[in-house]
Amino acid sequence: MSEVFFYLFGLLSVAFAALAVGSKNLIRGGVALLGSFVSLGGLYFTVGAEFIGIVQVIVYGGAIIVLYLFALMTMDLKKMREEPIRLTSVAAGGALSLALLGILIYGAFAFFGSVKPAVSGAKTLALPLFYKFLLPFEVVSVLLLVATVGAVAVGRREE
Amino acid sequence: MSPFGLFLISGLLFAIGLFGVIVRRNVISLFFSLELLLNSANVLLVGFSKLHGNPYGEIFVFFVLAVAAAEAAVGLAVVVALYRYRKSVNTEDFSFLRW
Repeated sequence: MSEVFFYLFGLLSVAFAALAVGSKNLIRGGVALLGSFVSLGGLYFTVGAEFIGIVQVIVYGGAIIVLYLFALMTMDLKKMREEPIRLTSVAAGGALSLALLGILIYGAFAFFGSVKPAVSGAKTLALPLFYKFLLPFEVVSVLLLVATVGAVAVGRREE
Repeated sequence: MSPFGLFLISGLLFAIGLFGVIVRRNVISLFFSLELLLNSANVLLVGFSKLHGNPYGEIFVFFVLAVAAAEAAVGLAVVVALYRYRKSVNTEDFSFLRW
């Protein structure tokens, strides 16, 4: 049963990602990206990473996409120039990404075995996070503070 | 369940993101593609964590998430400042940043 949902959410996330990258309308692209992230949250649930799934939906869907959409609403979308689609860059991007996809799939064949869908809730993740990885955790908190102060300083209107 | 599906989804997301980074000329679309790249790394981390039965990979996802949030905040601030300066979010209008 969980395999059905796994492939459903995987297909949904990849389709929404393609829509997000390909759409001309930026708002539509942002909403498609939101769909992709929420589908990825569902995907994490099907393999048992439940806490990661919840955090994915809250942080990516609830915070980052909303931040992008708010920033988009401060801009005048009607005056934006149509971006030209250059065939050389499409060809280069397609070739490069297809080559990378081929290499990744070829490398994935080296890993056999089966995924144990063991449920990892908050407790299994919190114990190593707050003992073994306490220093990186604190460093990340400083990084977030620096990013917040930097964002306010850069985005401030000069008077 | 075989881990191949997770690797395949991760590879597909990374390929789509890379295609977007190369082809699109709009900075916001470039950010969308960057988020896709970070998410494909997250899928791979969760996949290997589940394959080996080791929760450390899932803990690393938190750090990737925090870096993604920081990147989004700072990047959007830079884009909004540049938009105020140039009234555009097209990368070709920012070529004066190049030397």
